[in-house]
Amino acid sequence: MAAVGRGGVLWRQAAGWLWAARAAAAAPPGARAASGLTKDQLPGPYPRTAEERAAAAKKYNMRVEDYQPYPDDGFGYGDYPMLPNKSIHERDPWYQWDQPDMRRNWGEPMHWDFDMYIRNRVDTSPTPVPWHTMRNHFLIFLGTMLVMFVLGEIYPSYRPVGPKQYPFNDLYLEKGGDPNKEPPVVTHYKI
Amino acid sequence: METPLLLNTLTTLTLLTLLTPIILPPLLNLKNSPMSITKTIKTAFLISLIPTTIFIHSGAESIATHWEWQFIPNFKIPISLKMDMYSMMFFPIALFVTWSILEFATWYMASEPFITKFFTYLLTFLIAMLTLTIANNMFLLFVGWEGVGIMSFLLIGWWQGRAEANTAALQAMIYNRIGDIGLILSMAWLASSLNTWEIQQITHPNQTPTLPLLGLILAATGKSAQFGLHPWLPAAMEGPTPVSALLHSSTMVVAGIFLLIRTHPFLSSNKTALTTCLCLGALSTLFAATCALTQNDIKKIIAFSTSSQLGLMMVTIGLDLPQLAFLHISTHAFFKAMLFLCSGLIIHSLNGEQDIRKMGCLQKTLPMTTSCLTIGNLALMGTPFLAGFYSKDLIIENLNTSYINTWALSLTLLATSFTATYSLRMTLLVQTGHTRTPSNHPINENTPPAILPIMRLALGSIMAGLLISSLILPPKTPPMTMPTITKTAAIIVTTLGIILALELSSLSYSLTPPKHNPLMNFSSSLGYFNPLTHRISPSILLHTGQKIASHLIDMAWYKKMGPEGLANLHLTMTKISTTLHTGLIKSYLGSFALTILTTILLIQK
Amino acid sequence: MLASLGRSAGRLLRVGGVAAGRRHAGGEVHIEPRYRQFPELTRSQVVWSEVLSGFMWFWILWHFWHSSDSVLGHFPYPDSSAWTDEELGIPPDDAE
Repeated sequence: MAAVGRGGVLWRQAAGWLWAARAAAAAPPGARAASGLTKDQLPGPYPRTAEERAAAAKKYNMRVEDYQPYPDDGFGYGDYPMLPNKSIHERDPWYQWDQPDMRRNWGEPMHWDFDMYIRNRVDTSPTPVPWHTMRNHFLIFLGTMLVMFVLGEIYPSYRPVGPKQYPFNDLYLEKGGDPNKEPPVVTHYKI
Repeated sequence: METPLLLNTLTTLTLLTLLTPIILPPLLNLKNSPMSITKTIKTAFLISLIPTTIFIHSGAESIATHWEWQFIPNFKIPISLKMDMYSMMFFPIALFVTWSILEFATWYMASEPFITKFFTYLLTFLIAMLTLTIANNMFLLFVGWEGVGIMSFLLIGWWQGRAEANTAALQAMIYNRIGDIGLILSMAWLASSLNTWEIQQITHPNQTPTLPLLGLILAATGKSAQFGLHPWLPAAMEGPTPVSALLHSSTMVVAGIFLLIRTHPFLSSNKTALTTCLCLGALSTLFAATCALTQNDIKKIIAFSTSSQLGLMMVTIGLDLPQLAFLHISTHAFFKAMLFLCSGLIIHSLNGEQDIRKMGCLQKTLPMTTSCLTIGNLALMGTPFLAGFYSKDLIIENLNTSYINTWALSLTLLATSFTATYSLRMTLLVQTGHTRTPSNHPINENTPPAILPIMRLALGSIMAGLLISSLILPPKTPPMTMPTITKTAAIIVTTLGIILALELSSLSYSLTPPKHNPLMNFSSSLGYFNPLTHRISPSILLHTGQKIASHLIDMAWYKKMGPEGLANLHLTMTKISTTLHTGLIKSYLGSFALTILTTILLIQK
Repeated sequence: MLASLGRSAGRLLRVGGVAAGRRHAGGEVHIEPRYRQFPELTRSQVVWSEVLSGFMWFWILWHFWHSSDSVLGHFPYPDSSAWTDEELGIPPDDAE
């Protein structure tokens, strides 16, 4: 149980479901467990005093300075440590991790959303160019392209051999000319 | 004998030959080997030459319906195969390229413990691709479409122990699924409004509505890695090199373009859809070419050049010239597959080194491979009379003489110029200069299964352009006369690109560290597209998922709607009513009067 | 090209097809990896590379010689300003 206790809430949840399933199988149908998880599988109560903080930090294998619980806002995080939102990409690939593909040591506290920060998913490693510069440049690129495509659509490229010629005095009436007036004579040739 | 019958029989025979390594072993207790599968494909290639010759000779198209799936009454789903120019020309090309790549793979993957499984995957992929090509029915096409998608996933993630390979495989799957949404929506629209999935029956009396066409374009965008859904293609280079050569350059990625070629009669009546294709293609071709300029991984450069060429094919679709796009698919298959095989041989010779900065002077140590690499690069640039020229030059000429979007035209010309730049940059860094390789490396290219396919494809890249373009019928009358400057535009911009590359590579030999400028950063971090989208979208999705799964009930019912919500409601009401309780008789009387007045008004009505 | 062939051939060890020592399972020439030395090349390797490149140049130049019009344009582009009145059938100004 000690190993499970150090693991993290997710492992505990899994273990808890197993326990619940086993309990459900064993217990008579009327009797219902108060909760799916036993008490020592859940995070403890929110640490309020310095001693409690130290005890919680020790429980999660952390130093007291690093230990920072989630704010006590009623979501049941309890004393679970709030680890920095850093993905596994940022960890050293050449270090001899106990579990190399997760880049994780034994007994290391797990991030609450650790499954979000594995190597196939969100990458938070620093980029050579800052985030806002990247976003702005990309949007500028995209915007320029869209504007220029619209402009290109308005002024298309083609190779006319000569001006277009239409019958009926260049479609004078069809283009909305005044029928009462004499249409201007259009000549398409020059002698 | 009747020509259509011969065509049908021999094409079916080609497909059956390919199926034997999958069907026979469980039935007859045989055992496959990489060699047997390669030879099967070679046999199929030789067989497929016969129907192609018959087709070229007689020009007879044929549709063979084999079996009908009576799924719903009034809606037939036949297994119908279409033998027309596209499928008949694509069969021998795809089989030739696959045969060469598989032969190469017998050497490249020789130490792989599951090599037979690898070959079976490649064979399954090939069958799916050929099904897609020959399908005359959207259903059969969809089977092939998903088949190539799944095989692509399995083959990219072949080295499943590596997290990068898994990520790349997932990316390919997810991006392709986005495209599939478009295909499925279009198919649903076809079934509900035209009541058929037979491609030759898909004709709309008037102008086709834009929405189903946009679905098809989205499908092509996903499969053919056009801008917006492109990041999976460079990422797919995590797979083994034969996979990159077969799937991600010559066959699978052209499936999207092929879909648009097949559904072209349907597409060409809608101007908006064509313009979308044109602009999307132009943007993709330039974006990919820009990214290729600063990459240092040899496979990534070739991958981006593939992406750029796919953009060019999309432009051709947008120009309403599907035959030309098909011609480019055919010629592109040869030299792109060969470029990948050459890079595979180089990487193998340098103990897995992919960085072109750590190569150099390979012209002397790997003469055959680098000769072929040069031929491939020259063909890619569109050097006159090599394979790429026959399609690329025609495309650029048609672009220049058409009535099209100016910006799309300039982007395409710029991308053509960049093609020359990055190809030459790769050539210069890989083949010339000083040796920068590690001092101990097993360089040896005298292995027949490694070098023969490359040389075969090199001959193909030299001659295929002339052969294919003289064998298939031209689409419309090609533009015959144009000013010399328009005619030579493709060559002029390519030359400009070469000059640019020479200029750039002379910079890279100086020892000053490269300065960061915005353009350089933009190009080398893949246009910032990957860092932006691949970080934002999963984190938003996963966070939302987590919140919905674990916090929604707590927040909504137990908190906001329950006690906290009630308390808030009461608090607000109390606060409002307290303001009226000021103790002034005037306001009380005023409110009484107002109430009575309102009541009287309401009653009198 | 010939000069480069001569130079690289001079530096080559003359490893003819079979004479290259041990044979691999595949039957191909086996070349030992070397440390800090120019790798061995076989003669056929160099010859083939030159033949391929030579064929490419032959192909390009031969076609350029015989059908250069597919690069430079098939027909001259009609220049409307150069057309004479006679060709267009326009009578001279002083006719009538």
